[in-house]
Amino acid sequence: MPRRTALLLVVCCAARLVAQDLENIQIHGFATQGFLYSSHNNYLTMKSSSGSLQWTEGAISVADQVTDKLRVGIQLHMRQMGDLGGPNVVVDWASGDFKFNDKLGFRAGKIKAPLGLFNESQDVDSLFLWTLLPQSMYPVDNMDFNLSEMGGEIYGALPLGKRGGHLQYVGHIGDNSLDANGGYVEQLAEFGLTFPTPPSGKTYGADLQWVTPWRELTVGASALNDALDGTGPQGTVRLAATFTMAYYARWDRGRVHLAGEYWRTPLNILLTVGPNAMPYPVDQRAWYPMASYSVMKRLQIGGYYSHYVNKAGDTSLPANYSKDWVISGRYDFNDYFYGKLEGHFLHGTGLGYYTSTNPDGLKPNSNLLAARIGFSF
Amino acid sequence: MTLTGRTRRYALALIFACTAARAQDVILVVNKSVSISAINSAEVRDLFTGVRSRFSDGSRAVPVILKGGPAHEVFLRNYVGDNPDEFRVRWRKAVFTGQGSMLKELNSESALQDYIAATPGAIGYVSRVTAGDSVKVLTVRKGSR
Repeated sequence: MPRRTALLLVVCCAARLVAQDLENIQIHGFATQGFLYSSHNNYLTMKSSSGSLQWTEGAISVADQVTDKLRVGIQLHMRQMGDLGGPNVVVDWASGDFKFNDKLGFRAGKIKAPLGLFNESQDVDSLFLWTLLPQSMYPVDNMDFNLSEMGGEIYGALPLGKRGGHLQYVGHIGDNSLDANGGYVEQLAEFGLTFPTPPSGKTYGADLQWVTPWRELTVGASALNDALDGTGPQGTVRLAATFTMAYYARWDRGRVHLAGEYWRTPLNILLTVGPNAMPYPVDQRAWYPMASYSVMKRLQIGGYYSHYVNKAGDTSLPANYSKDWVISGRYDFNDYFYGKLEGHFLHGTGLGYYTSTNPDGLKPNSNLLAARIGFSF
Repeated sequence: MTLTGRTRRYALALIFACTAARAQDVILVVNKSVSISAINSAEVRDLFTGVRSRFSDGSRAVPVILKGGPAHEVFLRNYVGDNPDEFRVRWRKAVFTGQGSMLKELNSESALQDYIAATPGAIGYVSRVTAGDSVKVLTVRKGSR
């Protein structure tokens, strides 16, 4: 707790420098505090059924435009959510970015991985109306796994003529590992598996986005291939290389914003605990439609429906699905401070629940109130 | 053809509204080192949203913006299609994902014009050009690239 408070203080004090632009060096940051209250079950390892404030995040980034074409930067991030994350500050991204021209650039180091509409930015709360993004695709307890990787990427924007809009592309490759303090490692611990070093593997993928000539409409697709291997004293975990495919579209016109995605993630996980090998097939299908409206200058409201189902299991069991109806509101007090309030009507227990915080089992349905205040500069 | 009094009033109101809408625009200005004298509105949008970093002649562009105010709001509405909050979020996303740096912001139109005058490749907007010919005014063509 003292470390968390100290980090928030550091971020707020740094803000007094108000994103100083020292020649080409830029300093920016954010800090947020969240609250969850659920009618049943404890959500996201927080004791949410009693109301929990155990959700704090903060980050600070420093970037320097070294030359016209070269930019370097680093972002440090801290997250505490129930039993996940912790007071440790981790490198969110740290990269060198060389842009030959608008059609071709390279980025290398620890880089954010594009997948769908929000993967790269899902840990930056100030960007969204939503307190929780659709958990069927952006599970906040497991965000760290696909969020960034050690590697490189090639990117650019290709104009498609006067009436074609343009294509934005990214291709990336690198090494990925589970977050030692993240949700997947917590779930593996519930199977009796612990790891001295988090399971890791190769990853590669691409994202192609068409910004149509009708500027309001953007459509795109992403592919991400992951593999994992981990060995601990009690056994092993192995994820055979597999592709996640994501298809998405967004439409923004004036005060109205619409978006939707469909993802499919077939996973073949093999857990070995002692002499017992346990295949754990998963076929995740997820989709959502979302809509939001800017009521006035600083007030936004919206809603979405997030749908997740594991087709490899018995889809009538609550553990194999999660259906979440969400209404949300956000008010920006000024350019820096904001507050959010969100209601969730959750059906199914397929996402976000842990045995460690629900030792007496789970009710199939639960309602949830989520709130967040934040500061960004 | 003769206009009735009512129709004439509507016509006058329409002409007044169109004139007011045109008046509610900003002037795009660049550093005098920039060789182009006209730009497409789509190019303007691309420059200020980070899709493009160069003018059509290949020279480097340095977009600069006002921190706020009517000219800033008019520019964003007419050329980018964002309101100030959406525009800020767009650039914060680039910053916090390691994909870009915030645009240079200035407090006043005179400061912005001075900065553009002193910075090769700089492009910005003002509600009216002051201080003589320290910057170059760009003609904006409607439409795509």
